[in-house]
Amino acid sequence: MSTRKDKDQADNSQKTPGSDPGAGSRLGALAGGIAHDLNTVITTIYGYSEMALESLTGSPEAAGNIRKIIGAADRARLLTGQLLDLSRHAAREKVPVRVAAVLADTIDFIRPSVPEGIRIMRRVTAPDAYVNAVPAQLFRIFLNLTMNAIQAMTGKGGTLTVTLGCRENVKPIHHDGECRELHIRFSDTGKGMDEALQREIFKPFVSAGKEHGTGLGLTVVADAIREMGGTITVSSEPGAGTAFDIIIPGAFFGTLPEKH
Amino acid sequence: MAGVMIVEDDSALRELLRDALEKRKYTVIAAADGREALAKFRPSVVDLVITDLLMPEEDGLMVIMKIREIKPSTRMIAISGGGMAGPGSYLMMASKLGADAVISKPFLPSELVMKVKELLE
Repeated sequence: MSTRKDKDQADNSQKTPGSDPGAGSRLGALAGGIAHDLNTVITTIYGYSEMALESLTGSPEAAGNIRKIIGAADRARLLTGQLLDLSRHAAREKVPVRVAAVLADTIDFIRPSVPEGIRIMRRVTAPDAYVNAVPAQLFRIFLNLTMNAIQAMTGKGGTLTVTLGCRENVKPIHHDGECRELHIRFSDTGKGMDEALQREIFKPFVSAGKEHGTGLGLTVVADAIREMGGTITVSSEPGAGTAFDIIIPGAFFGTLPEKH
Repeated sequence: MAGVMIVEDDSALRELLRDALEKRKYTVIAAADGREALAKFRPSVVDLVITDLLMPEEDGLMVIMKIREIKPSTRMIAISGGGMAGPGSYLMMASKLGADAVISKPFLPSELVMKVKELLE
C-alpha cells in the first residue's frame, strides 16, 4: 500500500538529460527521511532520560550517567540537524520537472485530508510539459494553493478545479508536447475575497483565513513563482470563489524554435 | 482529569508520552495511526490530541482535519521530525489545518507537558 510516508521519499518524475540532475533531490529526500526517523528515536532517549532524572534521588553517579546519555543525544540531534540542512540544500536544486506529475502528487497527497463535501477536479491538457524548478518548491506552491482553496470551502463545501495547459495566446512548441509557457489555474467555489483583500493578498501577514496560518503562504508562493520567471494573479468574487492563475516559462530539451 | 489522545506510530515514543502524561494524572488514550485514532476518538472523552504527522495508514494531517469536523473544541498539538516536502512544511500544514500548537522532534516531555497544560487551561 502506498502511504504518504512512501510518497514523501519518492522521486519527482524528473526528466534527466545528460547527467542525473535529480540525484541531489533524491539524496536530499533520503537525508530528510532518515533525519525524520532519527528525531523520533532521539525524542524517546531524551524523554526517558529526563523522567529518570526526575525520579532519581540520592545517586549523583547515576544522575551523571544519565546526563551523559542526554549529551550523546544532543550530539545525535546535531547530526540530524546536519542531515536536514543537506535535505534543505538539495531541495534548492533546479531541475526540469514534469508539472503534471507534481500536480498529481500534490492532489494525491492532500486527498485523504479533504473534508466531505469538497471535490478536487483536475484537467490537464499539457501532460508532458516541463518547467525548470525545484521539485519540492513546486510541490509546496501547489500544496499551498490547494490548501487555501480547501480552507475557503470548508463548511460550505464546493469544488476546486485545477487546470494545466499551454498558455492560450502563445503558440506551443510542436514536439514532445512542450509549451513555451504553461498556464496553471486553481479555481475554487469558496467564500471569495473582496477587491481590497485581493490587492493585498500577496503581501506578508495578510490572510483570508483568520483562524490559522501565518499570512506568509501566498507571499512565499509568489516569490517562488517569480524565481522561476513566472507570474501569479488572483481574481475573486465574494461568495462565488477565487481563482489563482500562474504562468511559468516551459523547459526545453531540443532546439528552441524562434518565437512566432 | 482531562483526556489526552496520543497518535504516534513509533511504539517506544508512544509509550514514553503515555508515561509522561499519566504521571501528570491525565487520562491517556493511545493510537498507532490515524485510523485507530479516529476509531477510538468518538467513544472516548478526549480534550486534547497529540498527533505525529507522517504515519502509515491514515496520517496526522487527516486526523487534524477530521477531528476539527467531529469536535471542533478539541485542542490539538502536531509533532514531527521533518521530511522531504520541506523541513517545517508538515508542521506548517498542520497549523493551517487547525493544530493549536506544533512541536518539532526531538523535544523533551516537559516541553510537551507544559504545552498540554497551557492549552487545557
